[in-house]
Amino acid sequence: MTLCPPQGPTPTATPAGAGCCEEYAGLTRRGLLRAGGLAAATGALTATFGATTTQTAYAATRSAPRTLVLLSLRGAADGLSLVVPHADPVYYAARPRIAVPKASLLAVDAQFGLHPSLAPLLPMWQQGKVAAVHAVGLPAPNRSHFSAMEEVEDADPGSSARVGWLNRLIGRDGWEHPLRGMHLGDAVPPTTLVGPRPTFAATSVERVEVAAAGDDDGERGQRRLRGLRTTWGGAGGPLGQGARSALGAVADFRPARTSPEAPRGGAVYPDSDLGQALASAARTIRADVGAEVITVDHGSWDMHTDVGNLEWGDMKNKATDLAKSLAAFFTDLGALGDQVTVVTVSEFGRRVKENANWGLDHGHGTVMLALGGGVKGGYVGRWPGLQNTVDADVLVTTDYRSVLAELVTTRFGASSAQVFPGFTPETVGVFRA
Amino acid sequence: MATAPRATPFSRHLANRFGYGWTPALQRQVDRAGGPARWFEQQLTGVGVSDAFHDTSRGWWPSLTLSGPQIWARHQAGVQEYWRATSDYQRWVLARRIHSERQVLEAMTDFWENHLHVPAVGEAQAMYRASYGAAIRAHALGSFEDLLHAAITHPAMGCYLNNAVSTAKAPNEDLGRELLEVHTLGRGNHTEDDVKASARILTGWRVALWRDWTHGYDPASHWVGPVRVAGFEHPNADPDGRAVTRAYLRHLAHHPATARRIARRLALRFVSDDPSAALVEHLAQTYLQHGTEVKPVLRALVAHPEFRRSAGRKVRTPEEDVVATYRVLGVRLARPTDDESAANALLWQTGNIGLQPFAWPRPDGRPDVAEAWSSTARVLASFDVHVALAGGWWPREQVSHRPARSWLPARRVRFAGLVDHLSRSLLGRPASPTLQRACREVVGVGAREVVDASHGVVRWDMWRLLTTVLDSPAHMSR
Repeated sequence: MTLCPPQGPTPTATPAGAGCCEEYAGLTRRGLLRAGGLAAATGALTATFGATTTQTAYAATRSAPRTLVLLSLRGAADGLSLVVPHADPVYYAARPRIAVPKASLLAVDAQFGLHPSLAPLLPMWQQGKVAAVHAVGLPAPNRSHFSAMEEVEDADPGSSARVGWLNRLIGRDGWEHPLRGMHLGDAVPPTTLVGPRPTFAATSVERVEVAAAGDDDGERGQRRLRGLRTTWGGAGGPLGQGARSALGAVADFRPARTSPEAPRGGAVYPDSDLGQALASAARTIRADVGAEVITVDHGSWDMHTDVGNLEWGDMKNKATDLAKSLAAFFTDLGALGDQVTVVTVSEFGRRVKENANWGLDHGHGTVMLALGGGVKGGYVGRWPGLQNTVDADVLVTTDYRSVLAELVTTRFGASSAQVFPGFTPETVGVFRA
Repeated sequence: MATAPRATPFSRHLANRFGYGWTPALQRQVDRAGGPARWFEQQLTGVGVSDAFHDTSRGWWPSLTLSGPQIWARHQAGVQEYWRATSDYQRWVLARRIHSERQVLEAMTDFWENHLHVPAVGEAQAMYRASYGAAIRAHALGSFEDLLHAAITHPAMGCYLNNAVSTAKAPNEDLGRELLEVHTLGRGNHTEDDVKASARILTGWRVALWRDWTHGYDPASHWVGPVRVAGFEHPNADPDGRAVTRAYLRHLAHHPATARRIARRLALRFVSDDPSAALVEHLAQTYLQHGTEVKPVLRALVAHPEFRRSAGRKVRTPEEDVVATYRVLGVRLARPTDDESAANALLWQTGNIGLQPFAWPRPDGRPDVAEAWSSTARVLASFDVHVALAGGWWPREQVSHRPARSWLPARRVRFAGLVDHLSRSLLGRPASPTLQRACREVVGVGAREVVDASHGVVRWDMWRLLTTVLDSPAHMSR
């Protein structure tokens, strides 16, 4: 790639000039097709201005020996479809049209089986690297998406401060760096990450660059960064912190941005938001830029209509995307996958009984999946038994915080009392050190 | 080469809050109206303010004037995929915010479309999304009671929150719940029994989804029998439930909890992320005293000292950043011809920064606090868009960018004077010492150096200066 935007002051390098800027515009168009933009177009690297582009405001990043990937299934995912309690007769009675037939289930044991769209995860399941914890959720039913999400993500019912449990996790010691906790896939960080410790967000790995101050911009780029540091050095509020985190961490993120885009091990990610976000996560982890916590969102689980069946419907589509994306992620990571633990969380589950629209209204308990490093595979949790009434929920037998507390204590050596204040976790038996 | 008209702090504040960004042109309108207070009143009534841009630009995208069945017919005929109709609508809204003289009407349409959120992306509501926006705009400065009825009974809302397929035999709870939690009373002011009754009341408003897309009221789908919701009671004996819908929505619109919720959302949008309880209560009382009329509440908000004290305390959302950047740079959109045309391409710019208009994936509408729009991803993407627009690099089709030398305030000017002029033109205020220093650092020119049209700063680096002004807290906040 040529040097663009142009450096001046030679006539061929004027902003309106031909030559390099036609290429620039062309690249931008390709960037547009990927919903990218200028940063994607200027992302190539030169050796000249390598890691010196930004003086970070933070101590150099350090290696994160283990990574927690929190995958939020937004909209309240139906645990009964993902992990089917085939031995509970109420399940089939309550869902005459949308129940998953026992004969089609995968990894069947005496009580449960997996939705057939989760087939891409079956090899990992058989290796004992996937666990499904059923009947988990908030201690009391909360059918509001918005307050349930806040409760799940803040996870500190005793405090009115808006601090997410992952911000408390990365705040457990003196190592402060924005790359320690990051959100991938979109620009709005979830409540889990919000709090006093600076964090990072990237829509994609390639876009983590200061426009017109990247590897190709030479001394002009350095001048621009100096100006930006002057501009934002004393700026207050969250925007000031966000700008300083960006200016301070962009150079430390460079190994991820410049890493090869192609996944390893023959992994093929779906062309979905989740697939792309997890592909970015794999590159970030492999580049070892210090990401201890990565959050990714997976939306549209709010299936009031069209859960559907094995032939059609939203459940089949979402479960397929979920399983293919996660399978590709662990294939891509290869042996590194043993350092990475993925856990899924949803704000609540759905009713036992299907509604008139091939859908399910808001319920309570659901399922959590745990995959990868430190996971003791299989079906976990106490099954409460189902009731077939209009309002019946999956009753919660395991507080979701018990699962997460086990994860952060066994895998990260954190204190449960610090991450989940005022909560006394039970042993779930899903993670080992 | 003209000096920018002087902004007063209040006119700048008003234009940044109730318009999509202060500009010298807007300041001239304020001056012509006789000051900010009179400008605001003029904007509320619409008297003497042209709405011509709305009317002409509506013709830029053919789908905007089509009915739901027509959009579907075009999809089936292979003329335009139905989901592109929502993109057309998002683009039109952005273009209006940039160029319309009815800034306050656009700002309030935005506010209500976000409060009564129906995503403008894909899915069934695509057939009715532009029509929904028009219904909101028609009531945006009227009464909330009428607005609420128009929104809740609209086929776009019915498609989105599944009321369109709700029946007497099996009421679907989705809209009934969000109406109480999101649109009116707010959390903690209703029970699960209220949700059920709310859903029953709303049965009957049907849309023939994925068939012929006709919509209307179907008495056979209406649940009949006594209902009670949050103090509302009705025998609901008539299969034609339109009257009970009207009465129920009127009750909710006039409910004190709704008044507080609307008041708080207005204060969050137009005042600060942490409005005082006293301000919220004052606005809520004004709302109730005026029978849910919007204008008296806005007048009360603007007159409140807390509003005046809040200048610069809101972070611009991605769409506000893009729109304000087009506005202050004087970028002019023309009728688009393809995806590369600026009036189409600007939609991707908002998405790159973090969110396209009306693209929030949940019914509560996009968040409106600094915390949501201050991530590293947002900051870097904003810088990227600022560079692209300041340099006129992209988009370049069906658009005009100001030439670099037009930013010179005089034939010859000292560098510090140029920076001050840019600050007054883009931000409506003199350049701060910090901005002066940042500009000197960026182009390596001293404060006293004389700049004219042949100077390198004008010939090569004007975009670097413009970007430096745009990349500041003053432009990324409002």
